[in-house]
Amino acid sequence: MADVAIVSAGQSVFTRSCGESIRELAFEAFKEALEGLDITTGDIDASIICSAPEYDKQRSPAGLISEYLELTPKPSFYVETVCSSSSTGLRVAWSLVKSGLHKMVAVIGFQKMSELSSRDAAERMGRGADIIWESPFGLTMPAGYAMYAQAHMDKYGTTEEHLAKVRVKNSHYGATNPKATYRKELSLEDILNSEVITSPLKKFDCCANADGSSCIIVARGDVAKGITDKPIWIVGLGAATDTMTMAGRELLTGLKCAQEAARQAYKMARLKPQDIDVAEVHDCFTVSEILAYEDLGFAKPGEGVGLIEDKETYADGTIPVNVDGGLLSKGHPIGATGGSQIRTIVRQLRGEATEAQVKGAEIGLVHNIGGIGQYGNVTILRR
Amino acid sequence: MTVLGVPILEGLYPSTMDLYPLQAKEFNRIHPFYENLRQNRFTTTKCKKCGNVPFPPRVVCPQCNSDDLEWVDLPTQGKVLRFTEEVAGVPLGFETPLIHALVDLGEGRKFISRVVNCKEGQLKEGATVKLAVFDIPAMIVEKKGVMDEVPRVFFAFEPVK
Repeated sequence: MADVAIVSAGQSVFTRSCGESIRELAFEAFKEALEGLDITTGDIDASIICSAPEYDKQRSPAGLISEYLELTPKPSFYVETVCSSSSTGLRVAWSLVKSGLHKMVAVIGFQKMSELSSRDAAERMGRGADIIWESPFGLTMPAGYAMYAQAHMDKYGTTEEHLAKVRVKNSHYGATNPKATYRKELSLEDILNSEVITSPLKKFDCCANADGSSCIIVARGDVAKGITDKPIWIVGLGAATDTMTMAGRELLTGLKCAQEAARQAYKMARLKPQDIDVAEVHDCFTVSEILAYEDLGFAKPGEGVGLIEDKETYADGTIPVNVDGGLLSKGHPIGATGGSQIRTIVRQLRGEATEAQVKGAEIGLVHNIGGIGQYGNVTILRR
Repeated sequence: MTVLGVPILEGLYPSTMDLYPLQAKEFNRIHPFYENLRQNRFTTTKCKKCGNVPFPPRVVCPQCNSDDLEWVDLPTQGKVLRFTEEVAGVPLGFETPLIHALVDLGEGRKFISRVVNCKEGQLKEGATVKLAVFDIPAMIVEKKGVMDEVPRVFFAFEPVK
């Protein structure tokens, strides 16, 4: 039996403009995570604060947020792997608890992007590339993933319609998620007719910047059982990197960091792709979800589009994926995203999902990617 | 009380918010790359001991740890393998279309670069592109208490007409 569990998970509403400061935003997720738990802030031994620093004026946000959440004088520190920061935070929390150093740790992810214009946000996002060699080209995530989309189309015959079907699915589920930025169902035509952002990706192939926060409370197994009758066990953790420079990439039809992280997580959990009942994958773009199907072993390389064509990734399919709407519907507040994905799986495994509950889900997977396939994180949870 | 302005709006551009690398020899050990670039040469380092030619250039060979390296020329022409034209939401400081291409420089060397001097819809897969070197804003640095302007260049590729 694994001996580190998630006892609670919360998130704020993800929105284009939250109208509050980062400390207030972080508090919303923390509040939801603590609701219904018979613990106080004093029971939390440490906090890990996760975001991408380039969007904030505030430096060293860990101290600020831990003070606002009344966690001082407990240790608090900052963890960053851009868009997968809070999955990395969970990995560190697991290590702190597993080592015996702490009994209970809070992983708090946040991002407030509404203080910046979208082009300013894009410029800052570009700083997450190699600042000497590639940021000066203006290379950002949409263009990077557009290259992956083209490579996948060239090699496997994937079409823009295949990509659009991912958004059709995710908008369907996002429409019922009260935490999502976009709660409108989109038709295939809406998506295919939306304006081009960077060929072949169109507006509705892309997730949007958002404000939001997430909070995961992790505890030692015996402590977890004393707090909740539904602990969710962390049974598999995988993490890997690929080159920072796109020039160094061997493969443009899949994310090597995700493939390696998945291999590690399956091995640690002693599970196979077909054992997964429900998954949250990093659909920052529609193509990213297709890549994830293949990188996680839900489909063979080049056969990912078959899953969306046959609706196998809908809630009643063989491998439901992003049935909370995904990043495409929820929006993508960088540092909060991984925690939100984890929260969805926790709710699914507890049978408490309100958007679309996968019947009898026992094992769930979270796939969270940082940068243009730079940081790969795969987490497997079990009830 | 005098309220000072926002530094960035007053032309005081903090170095941490500058998107281009510091290129002078005071700030990095690969400054010959930029000196060569001014002469329209696209260069990297070759390990004299094991023959490894990585890009970007290094100060120590990542394969054999030797620091006995020499500067060698890379091809300045290549072929566009694939590209994307970004026409909306490009980062501040860039204009549309912002074109990114995977360029094959030959010898098994592929490189992702920006393509400039090219209109939307003009670039084709398989097109030949060549190195384009251009001036970028000078960097203001303090040298022995005196503010000095350090001129800079950067590069992209452009279609061969």
